Amino acid sequence: MSSSPFASVLAALTRQRGVRASLVVDENDGIVVDSNLQIGQDGDRVAALAASLYRKARLSARAAQLGTATFMQLEAERGRICAAGRNDLVLVVVADPAANIGMIRVEMIKAAGGLP
Amino acid sequence: MADDVRRWSDELARDPASLVFLPLGETLRRQGQLDLALKIATRGLERHSHNPDAHDLLARIAVDRGELQRAFDEWDMVLRLTPEHIGALKGMAFVRFQQGNTPEAEQYLQRAAEKNGGGDAEVAAALANMRGAGRGRRDAGPGTGGAPENGAQPASRIPRPAPNDSRALFADILGEHEQTALLLDDQGLVLAGIYVDGSGNDVGDEVGAELSGVTDSARRATRHLDIGEWRAIILETEVAVVTMAPSTADGLLVVAASKATPLGLVRRVLDRCLERARKWLEAAR
Repeated sequence: MSSSPFASVLAALTRQRGVRASLVVDENDGIVVDSNLQIGQDGDRVAALAASLYRKARLSARAAQLGTATFMQLEAERGRICAAGRNDLVLVVVADPAANIGMIRVEMIKAAGGLP
Repeated sequence: MADDVRRWSDELARDPASLVFLPLGETLRRQGQLDLALKIATRGLERHSHNPDAHDLLARIAVDRGELQRAFDEWDMVLRLTPEHIGALKGMAFVRFQQGNTPEAEQYLQRAAEKNGGGDAEVAAALANMRGAGRGRRDAGPGTGGAPENGAQPASRIPRPAPNDSRALFADILGEHEQTALLLDDQGLVLAGIYVDGSGNDVGDEVGAELSGVTDSARRATRHLDIGEWRAIILETEVAVVTMAPSTADGLLVVAASKATPLGLVRRVLDRCLERARKWLEAAR
Protein backbone atom coordinates (compact mmCIF):
# COMPACT_ATOMS: atom_id res chain seq x y z
CA MET A 1 0.00 0.00 0.00
CA SER A 2 1.39 3.37 -0.92
CA SER A 3 2.05 6.03 1.71
CA SER A 4 2.42 9.07 -0.52
CA PRO A 5 0.31 12.23 -0.21
CA PHE A 6 -2.06 10.67 -2.74
CA ALA A 7 -2.63 7.42 -0.88
CA SER A 8 -5.93 8.36 0.72
CA VAL A 9 -7.32 9.79 -2.51
CA LEU A 10 -6.39 6.68 -4.45
CA ALA A 11 -7.73 4.40 -1.76
CA ALA A 12 -11.05 6.26 -1.75
CA LEU A 13 -11.35 5.94 -5.50
CA THR A 14 -10.45 2.27 -5.53
CA ARG A 15 -13.16 1.61 -2.96
CA GLN A 16 -15.78 2.70 -5.50
CA ARG A 17 -17.63 -0.22 -7.01
CA GLY A 18 -16.10 -1.47 -10.25
CA VAL A 19 -12.82 0.44 -10.02
CA ARG A 20 -9.88 -1.70 -11.08
CA ALA A 21 -7.11 0.82 -10.76
CA SER A 22 -6.48 4.38 -9.73
CA LEU A 23 -3.29 6.25 -10.39
CA VAL A 24 -1.67 9.64 -10.21
CA VAL A 25 0.38 10.15 -13.35
CA ASP A 26 2.72 12.79 -14.66
CA GLU A 27 0.93 14.01 -17.77
CA ASN A 28 4.08 14.92 -19.66
CA ASP A 29 5.95 11.64 -19.51
CA GLY A 30 3.24 9.21 -18.40
CA ILE A 31 5.22 8.05 -15.40
CA VAL A 32 3.32 6.76 -12.38
CA VAL A 33 3.58 9.03 -9.34
CA ASP A 34 1.44 6.78 -7.17
CA SER A 35 -1.06 4.02 -7.79
CA ASN A 36 -3.56 1.68 -6.23
CA LEU A 37 -4.00 -1.33 -8.49
CA GLN A 38 -5.85 -4.57 -8.42
CA ILE A 39 -3.83 -7.69 -9.00
CA GLY A 40 -3.09 -8.17 -12.67
CA GLN A 41 -3.09 -4.52 -13.65
CA ASP A 42 0.05 -3.17 -15.29
CA GLY A 43 0.33 0.28 -13.76
CA ASP A 44 3.03 1.58 -16.05
CA ARG A 45 1.10 0.68 -19.16
CA VAL A 46 -2.17 2.09 -17.85
CA ALA A 47 -0.43 5.29 -16.80
CA ALA A 48 1.32 5.87 -20.09
CA LEU A 49 -1.75 5.23 -22.22
CA ALA A 50 -4.18 7.18 -20.06
CA ALA A 51 -1.85 10.14 -19.70
CA SER A 52 -1.30 10.22 -23.43
CA LEU A 53 -5.02 10.10 -24.12
CA TYR A 54 -5.84 12.78 -21.59
CA ARG A 55 -3.07 15.02 -22.81
CA LYS A 56 -4.24 14.68 -26.39
CA ALA A 57 -7.84 15.39 -25.44
CA ARG A 58 -6.87 18.36 -23.31
CA LEU A 59 -4.71 19.94 -25.99
CA SER A 60 -7.29 19.26 -28.67
CA ALA A 61 -10.02 20.89 -26.62
CA ARG A 62 -7.86 23.90 -26.04
CA ALA A 63 -6.93 24.18 -29.71
CA ALA A 64 -10.61 23.91 -30.58
CA GLN A 65 -11.24 26.84 -28.22
CA LEU A 66 -13.32 24.71 -25.90
CA GLY A 67 -11.51 25.83 -22.78
CA THR A 68 -9.61 23.90 -20.14
CA ALA A 69 -10.49 20.22 -19.79
CA THR A 70 -11.84 19.22 -16.39
CA PHE A 71 -12.79 15.59 -16.86
CA MET A 72 -12.50 12.95 -19.55
CA GLN A 73 -14.17 9.60 -19.83
CA LEU A 74 -13.57 6.93 -22.43
CA GLU A 75 -16.15 4.21 -22.75
CA ALA A 76 -15.20 0.90 -24.28
CA GLU A 77 -16.91 -2.47 -24.61
CA ARG A 78 -15.34 -3.92 -21.48
CA GLY A 79 -14.23 -0.96 -19.45
CA ARG A 80 -13.86 2.75 -18.91
CA ILE A 81 -10.93 5.07 -18.48
CA CYS A 82 -11.54 8.28 -16.56
CA ALA A 83 -9.07 11.12 -16.12
CA ALA A 84 -9.05 14.47 -14.39
CA GLY A 85 -6.00 16.66 -14.24
CA ARG A 86 -4.48 19.70 -12.70
CA ASN A 87 -1.20 21.32 -13.60
CA ASP A 88 1.01 18.45 -14.77
CA LEU A 89 -0.65 15.67 -12.81
CA VAL A 90 -3.50 13.47 -13.93
CA LEU A 91 -5.71 11.34 -11.79
CA VAL A 92 -6.62 8.19 -13.72
CA VAL A 93 -9.21 5.53 -12.98
CA VAL A 94 -9.80 2.31 -14.89
CA ALA A 95 -13.22 0.86 -14.17
CA ASP A 96 -15.66 -1.83 -15.24
CA PRO A 97 -18.52 -0.90 -17.56
CA ALA A 98 -21.00 -1.35 -14.71
CA ALA A 99 -19.15 0.99 -12.34
CA ASN A 100 -21.03 3.93 -10.86
CA ILE A 101 -19.48 6.52 -13.09
CA GLY A 102 -21.41 9.37 -11.54
CA MET A 103 -19.86 8.77 -8.14
CA ILE A 104 -16.42 8.18 -9.61
CA ARG A 105 -16.65 11.42 -11.58
CA VAL A 106 -17.60 13.45 -8.53
CA GLU A 107 -14.78 11.92 -6.47
CA MET A 108 -12.23 12.46 -9.22
CA ILE A 109 -13.11 16.09 -9.88
CA LYS A 110 -12.99 16.77 -6.16
CA ALA A 111 -9.68 14.95 -5.81
CA ALA A 112 -8.16 16.60 -8.88
CA GLY A 113 -8.86 19.97 -7.31
CA GLY A 114 -6.55 18.98 -4.49
CA LEU A 115 -3.63 17.97 -6.69
CA PRO A 116 -0.56 20.19 -6.18
CA MET B 1 -34.78 23.49 -12.13
CA ALA B 2 -35.67 20.17 -10.50
CA ASP B 3 -37.55 22.16 -7.88
CA ASP B 4 -39.49 23.99 -10.59
CA VAL B 5 -40.45 20.73 -12.25
CA ARG B 6 -41.64 19.34 -8.93
CA ARG B 7 -43.55 22.50 -8.10
CA TRP B 8 -45.25 22.68 -11.50
CA SER B 9 -46.05 18.96 -11.39
CA ASP B 10 -47.65 19.38 -7.98
CA GLU B 11 -49.64 22.36 -9.15
CA LEU B 12 -50.83 20.49 -12.21
CA ALA B 13 -51.86 17.57 -10.05
CA ARG B 14 -53.87 19.93 -7.86
CA ASP B 15 -55.32 21.85 -10.77
CA PRO B 16 -55.32 19.98 -14.10
CA ALA B 17 -56.63 23.12 -15.83
CA SER B 18 -53.58 25.14 -14.77
CA LEU B 19 -51.40 26.69 -17.47
CA VAL B 20 -48.23 25.52 -15.72
CA PHE B 21 -48.21 22.65 -18.19
CA LEU B 22 -46.57 25.16 -20.56
CA PRO B 23 -43.35 25.81 -18.60
CA LEU B 24 -43.37 22.23 -17.33
CA GLY B 25 -43.60 20.76 -20.83
CA GLU B 26 -40.96 23.15 -22.16
CA THR B 27 -38.55 22.33 -19.34
CA LEU B 28 -39.01 18.60 -19.84
CA ARG B 29 -38.45 19.09 -23.55
CA ARG B 30 -35.20 20.93 -22.90
CA GLN B 31 -34.14 18.16 -20.56
CA GLY B 32 -34.72 15.64 -23.33
CA GLN B 33 -37.65 13.93 -21.60
CA LEU B 34 -39.65 14.02 -24.77
CA ASP B 35 -42.20 11.32 -24.02
CA LEU B 36 -43.14 12.95 -20.76
CA ALA B 37 -43.15 16.41 -22.31
CA LEU B 38 -45.46 15.13 -25.04
CA LYS B 39 -47.81 13.65 -22.50
CA ILE B 40 -47.96 16.88 -20.52
CA ALA B 41 -48.47 19.02 -23.63
CA THR B 42 -51.15 16.75 -25.08
CA ARG B 43 -53.12 16.75 -21.83
CA GLY B 44 -52.78 20.51 -21.60
CA LEU B 45 -54.06 20.93 -25.14
CA GLU B 46 -57.12 18.87 -24.32
CA ARG B 47 -58.13 21.60 -21.89
CA HIS B 48 -56.71 24.57 -23.78
CA SER B 49 -57.25 23.72 -27.41
CA HIS B 50 -57.32 27.40 -28.45
CA ASN B 51 -54.14 28.36 -26.65
CA PRO B 52 -51.46 29.15 -29.28
CA ASP B 53 -48.63 28.61 -26.77
CA ALA B 54 -49.87 25.08 -26.17
CA HIS B 55 -49.75 24.30 -29.88
CA ASP B 56 -46.34 25.96 -30.08
CA LEU B 57 -45.09 23.74 -27.27
CA LEU B 58 -46.39 20.63 -28.97
CA ALA B 59 -44.71 21.69 -32.20
CA ARG B 60 -41.35 22.10 -30.47
CA ILE B 61 -41.66 18.69 -28.86
CA ALA B 62 -42.58 17.17 -32.21
CA VAL B 63 -39.46 18.65 -33.82
CA ASP B 64 -37.28 17.19 -31.09
CA ARG B 65 -38.93 13.83 -31.71
CA GLY B 66 -38.16 14.12 -35.41
CA GLU B 67 -41.87 14.43 -36.24
CA LEU B 68 -41.53 17.31 -38.65
CA GLN B 69 -44.93 17.21 -40.30
CA ARG B 70 -46.71 17.08 -36.97
CA ALA B 71 -44.67 20.09 -35.86
CA PHE B 72 -45.64 21.94 -39.02
CA ASP B 73 -49.32 21.22 -38.47
CA GLU B 74 -49.17 22.47 -34.91
CA TRP B 75 -47.44 25.69 -35.95
CA ASP B 76 -50.02 26.07 -38.69
CA MET B 77 -52.66 25.94 -35.95
CA VAL B 78 -50.71 28.57 -33.98
CA LEU B 79 -50.84 30.88 -37.01
CA ARG B 80 -54.59 30.37 -37.35
CA LEU B 81 -54.99 31.43 -33.74
CA THR B 82 -52.33 34.15 -33.78
CA PRO B 83 -51.44 35.25 -37.31
CA GLU B 84 -48.60 37.43 -36.03
CA HIS B 85 -46.80 34.59 -34.24
CA ILE B 86 -43.16 34.96 -35.34
CA GLY B 87 -42.08 31.75 -33.63
CA ALA B 88 -44.56 29.70 -35.61
CA LEU B 89 -43.34 31.21 -38.89
CA LYS B 90 -39.74 30.48 -37.97
CA GLY B 91 -40.67 26.96 -36.97
CA MET B 92 -42.54 26.30 -40.19
CA ALA B 93 -39.59 27.66 -42.15
CA PHE B 94 -37.31 25.28 -40.27
CA VAL B 95 -39.53 22.29 -41.03
CA ARG B 96 -39.83 23.13 -44.71
CA PHE B 97 -36.07 23.59 -44.93
CA GLN B 98 -35.49 20.22 -43.29
CA GLN B 99 -37.94 18.67 -45.72
CA GLY B 100 -35.98 20.04 -48.62
CA ASN B 101 -38.52 22.70 -49.58
CA THR B 102 -36.22 25.71 -49.46
CA PRO B 103 -38.45 28.09 -51.48
CA GLU B 104 -41.35 27.65 -49.08
CA ALA B 105 -39.00 27.91 -46.12
CA GLU B 106 -37.80 31.23 -47.49
CA GLN B 107 -41.37 32.43 -47.80
CA TYR B 108 -42.10 31.70 -44.14
CA LEU B 109 -38.90 33.39 -43.03
CA GLN B 110 -39.67 36.37 -45.23
CA ARG B 111 -43.08 36.66 -43.60
CA ALA B 112 -41.45 36.47 -40.17
CA ALA B 113 -39.01 39.22 -41.14
CA GLU B 114 -41.83 41.44 -42.45
CA LYS B 115 -43.99 40.98 -39.38
CA ASN B 116 -41.06 41.82 -37.18
CA GLY B 117 -40.14 44.90 -39.20
CA GLY B 118 -36.82 43.34 -40.15
CA GLY B 119 -35.58 43.75 -36.59
CA ASP B 120 -34.96 40.10 -35.84
CA ALA B 121 -31.27 39.40 -36.44
CA GLU B 122 -31.83 35.67 -36.11
CA VAL B 123 -34.46 35.70 -38.85
CA ALA B 124 -32.26 37.86 -41.08
CA ALA B 125 -29.29 35.55 -40.61
CA ALA B 126 -31.39 32.44 -41.19
CA LEU B 127 -32.83 33.98 -44.32
CA ALA B 128 -29.38 34.77 -45.64
CA ASN B 129 -28.08 31.30 -44.82
CA MET B 130 -31.11 29.62 -46.30
CA ARG B 131 -30.84 31.53 -49.53
CA GLY B 132 -27.23 30.41 -49.80
CA ALA B 133 -28.02 26.81 -48.98
CA GLY B 134 -31.16 26.90 -51.10
CA ARG B 135 -29.18 27.73 -54.18
CA GLY B 136 -27.14 24.60 -53.65
CA ARG B 137 -30.24 22.52 -53.11
CA ARG B 138 -31.90 23.78 -56.27
CA ASP B 139 -28.71 23.23 -58.21
CA ALA B 140 -28.82 19.62 -57.10
CA GLY B 141 -32.13 19.22 -58.88
CA PRO B 142 -35.51 18.01 -57.72
CA GLY B 143 -36.04 15.04 -55.48
CA THR B 144 -33.60 15.86 -52.73
CA GLY B 145 -35.38 15.26 -49.50
CA GLY B 146 -39.12 15.04 -49.19
CA ALA B 147 -41.86 15.87 -46.79
CA PRO B 148 -42.74 13.07 -44.41
CA GLU B 149 -46.46 12.47 -44.45
CA ASN B 150 -46.66 11.62 -40.81
CA GLY B 151 -44.66 11.71 -37.62
CA ALA B 152 -41.59 9.52 -37.63
CA GLN B 153 -39.16 9.65 -40.50
CA PRO B 154 -38.27 6.24 -41.87
CA ALA B 155 -34.74 5.94 -43.17
CA SER B 156 -35.77 6.35 -46.77
CA ARG B 157 -37.51 9.63 -46.01
CA ILE B 158 -34.78 11.29 -44.03
CA PRO B 159 -33.78 14.46 -45.88
CA ARG B 160 -30.77 13.91 -48.09
CA PRO B 161 -29.16 17.29 -48.34
CA ALA B 162 -27.10 18.14 -51.37
CA PRO B 163 -23.36 18.10 -50.66
CA ASN B 164 -23.22 21.79 -49.96
CA ASP B 165 -26.05 21.78 -47.45
CA SER B 166 -25.07 18.68 -45.52
CA ARG B 167 -24.41 21.15 -42.72
CA ALA B 168 -28.08 20.83 -41.86
CA LEU B 169 -27.94 17.06 -41.39
CA PHE B 170 -28.32 17.16 -37.62
CA ALA B 171 -30.25 20.41 -37.31
CA ASP B 172 -33.58 18.92 -36.30
CA ILE B 173 -31.94 16.66 -33.71
CA LEU B 174 -30.01 19.49 -32.16
CA GLY B 175 -33.11 21.68 -32.08
CA GLU B 176 -32.72 24.88 -30.16
CA HIS B 177 -30.34 23.54 -27.56
CA GLU B 178 -26.90 25.07 -27.43
CA GLN B 179 -25.47 22.09 -29.27
CA THR B 180 -23.56 21.44 -32.42
CA ALA B 181 -22.59 18.30 -34.28
CA LEU B 182 -19.95 17.38 -36.81
CA LEU B 183 -19.46 14.22 -38.81
CA LEU B 184 -15.81 13.75 -39.76
CA ASP B 185 -14.21 11.30 -42.12
CA ASP B 186 -11.17 9.18 -41.25
CA GLN B 187 -8.91 12.12 -42.09
CA GLY B 188 -10.68 14.52 -39.78
CA LEU B 189 -12.42 16.35 -42.61
CA VAL B 190 -15.99 17.52 -42.15
CA LEU B 191 -18.60 15.44 -43.97
CA ALA B 192 -21.69 16.95 -42.40
CA GLY B 193 -22.79 19.28 -39.65
CA ILE B 194 -21.54 22.66 -38.67
CA TYR B 195 -19.53 24.21 -35.86
CA VAL B 196 -19.94 27.93 -35.40
CA ASP B 197 -17.73 29.86 -33.01
CA GLY B 198 -18.73 32.82 -30.90
CA SER B 199 -18.10 35.19 -33.81
CA GLY B 200 -20.42 33.31 -36.12
CA ASN B 201 -17.63 31.71 -38.16
CA ASP B 202 -17.86 28.08 -39.24
CA VAL B 203 -14.76 26.52 -37.66
CA GLY B 204 -15.79 22.93 -38.27
CA ASP B 205 -12.63 22.07 -40.20
CA GLU B 206 -10.35 23.37 -37.47
CA VAL B 207 -12.27 21.72 -34.65
CA GLY B 208 -12.53 18.47 -36.59
CA ALA B 209 -8.84 18.37 -37.31
CA GLU B 210 -7.98 18.92 -33.66
CA LEU B 211 -10.45 16.49 -32.14
CA SER B 212 -10.06 13.66 -34.62
CA GLY B 213 -6.52 13.09 -33.38
CA VAL B 214 -7.93 11.93 -30.07
CA THR B 215 -9.33 8.81 -31.67
CA ASP B 216 -5.89 7.36 -32.39
CA SER B 217 -4.99 7.64 -28.73
CA ALA B 218 -8.33 6.13 -27.75
CA ARG B 219 -7.85 3.17 -30.08
CA ARG B 220 -4.33 2.60 -28.79
CA ALA B 221 -5.39 2.76 -25.15
CA THR B 222 -8.34 0.38 -25.45
CA ARG B 223 -6.33 -2.10 -27.47
CA HIS B 224 -3.44 -2.22 -25.04
CA LEU B 225 -5.70 -2.36 -21.99
CA ASP B 226 -7.78 -5.09 -23.60
CA ILE B 227 -11.12 -3.43 -22.88
CA GLY B 228 -12.56 -3.82 -26.36
CA GLU B 229 -13.44 -1.24 -28.96
CA TRP B 230 -14.02 2.30 -27.77
CA ARG B 231 -17.58 3.52 -27.97
CA ALA B 232 -17.50 7.10 -26.77
CA ILE B 233 -15.31 9.79 -25.29
CA ILE B 234 -16.87 12.43 -23.10
CA LEU B 235 -14.72 15.45 -22.48
CA GLU B 236 -15.85 18.12 -20.07
CA THR B 237 -14.24 21.52 -20.20
CA GLU B 238 -14.86 24.80 -18.42
CA VAL B 239 -17.35 25.85 -21.05
CA ALA B 240 -18.51 22.78 -22.92
CA VAL B 241 -19.27 19.10 -22.95
CA VAL B 242 -17.84 17.35 -26.00
CA THR B 243 -18.80 13.80 -26.87
CA MET B 244 -17.19 11.78 -29.60
CA ALA B 245 -18.06 8.39 -31.00
CA PRO B 246 -16.74 6.29 -33.87
CA SER B 247 -18.92 6.42 -36.95
CA THR B 248 -19.16 4.39 -40.12
CA ALA B 249 -15.96 3.84 -42.14
CA ASP B 250 -13.58 5.00 -39.40
CA GLY B 251 -15.35 8.32 -39.22
CA LEU B 252 -15.95 10.31 -36.09
CA LEU B 253 -19.03 12.04 -34.81
CA VAL B 254 -18.53 14.99 -32.49
CA VAL B 255 -21.34 16.59 -30.52
CA ALA B 256 -20.57 19.64 -28.41
CA ALA B 257 -22.93 21.35 -26.03
CA SER B 258 -22.76 24.10 -23.51
CA LYS B 259 -21.60 23.16 -20.03
CA ALA B 260 -25.14 23.72 -18.78
CA THR B 261 -26.50 20.86 -20.87
CA PRO B 262 -27.12 17.68 -18.85
CA LEU B 263 -24.66 14.92 -19.75
CA GLY B 264 -27.48 12.45 -20.26
CA LEU B 265 -29.08 14.70 -22.83
CA VAL B 266 -25.80 15.12 -24.72
CA ARG B 267 -25.39 11.35 -24.84
CA ARG B 268 -28.91 10.96 -26.15
CA VAL B 269 -28.25 13.53 -28.86
CA LEU B 270 -24.99 11.77 -29.73
CA ASP B 271 -26.81 8.46 -30.19
CA ARG B 272 -29.46 10.04 -32.38
CA CYS B 273 -26.85 11.84 -34.49
CA LEU B 274 -24.91 8.59 -34.87
CA GLU B 275 -27.99 6.86 -36.22
CA ARG B 276 -28.68 9.75 -38.56
CA ALA B 277 -25.09 9.74 -39.78
CA ARG B 278 -25.18 5.99 -40.39
CA LYS B 279 -28.31 6.23 -42.51
CA TRP B 280 -27.04 9.28 -44.35
CA LEU B 281 -23.75 7.60 -45.20
CA GLU B 282 -25.54 4.46 -46.33
CA ALA B 283 -27.82 6.50 -48.56
CA ALA B 284 -24.86 8.37 -49.99
CA ARG B 285 -23.12 5.19 -51.10
